[in-house]
Amino acid sequence: MAHDTGLDARTDRSEHALVFLALVVLTGLELTVAKVPGVGHRALVSALVVLAVSKAALIGLFFMHLKYETRSLKLTVLLPLLAPALYAVALIADATWRLL
Amino acid sequence: MGSAASVQSHHAEVPWPADAQYGSATPGKIGMWVFLISDAFSFAGLLIAYAILRTGHPVWRQPGEPELGVYFTAGLTLLLLLSSLTNVLAFAAAREERRREATMYLALTALGGALFIAGQAQEWFGIVGHGLIREGLVFGQSPRASIFYVVTGFHGFHVIVGVAYILATLAAYARGTAGWRQVELLGLFWCFVDFVWIFVFSALYLLPS
Repeated sequence: MAHDTGLDARTDRSEHALVFLALVVLTGLELTVAKVPGVGHRALVSALVVLAVSKAALIGLFFMHLKYETRSLKLTVLLPLLAPALYAVALIADATWRLL
Repeated sequence: MGSAASVQSHHAEVPWPADAQYGSATPGKIGMWVFLISDAFSFAGLLIAYAILRTGHPVWRQPGEPELGVYFTAGLTLLLLLSSLTNVLAFAAAREERRREATMYLALTALGGALFIAGQAQEWFGIVGHGLIREGLVFGQSPRASIFYVVTGFHGFHVIVGVAYILATLAAYARGTAGWRQVELLGLFWCFVDFVWIFVFSALYLLPS
């Protein structure tokens, strides 16, 4: 555990600044992708999902310090989040199927 | 600190034994994570409802309904990201016992949250100019309008609670009755508000209607 060693890695300001910069760049990319004409709907949704998950991962790992937690705590947090992701895939697929 | 972490109780740090599975995470921190997971389920339910509604309506934007202000909301998104940065800087300062710096960053975080709420009020009601409601996006008149106000309203409620939580923590920290662990718990909640907004922004604003 980083915060048991005296020097707490969670206080690294340069890392915080880099993560913030990455979040700003990813937000700019989201806007660009959404506004570029001619991008297909599936490609647009896929790109937006990848970009959103990347941003959320940066916030969870670095700003919420999940990167520095034990494996058990990481699993306690991340495993339950798979459930709504699976529900989303199943329910949206079902709704799409009904339209066909 | 050695092998045992500590929790702050009033003015004194009392030792907290390291756990084999959860390390130095206090029950408060584990409890906050469990609460955030349950809250994430609430947001996930709303976003899944949005996706199903949208899939079932080939014409999503009804005639006469306005476009959403993507660039304005992108500005609000950057504001929320900035407030997450000031929040994590507040934690870093509190961890190093730089109390004035931590207080300043906490105040900036609260300001960021308050400005976000003001921005959302502008978007809905039009403090300056016309808001979405006056432009024709009225709750109950279309699935697009209803789910928009439910999702952004639920998130806005979290921002309001977050700002109140920041101010309460700020007051306790200034009095010396809260320490870095309380600032850390606050940070988990505040960054979660940002975490969720990322998905709300992508789903509601960036997908073309």
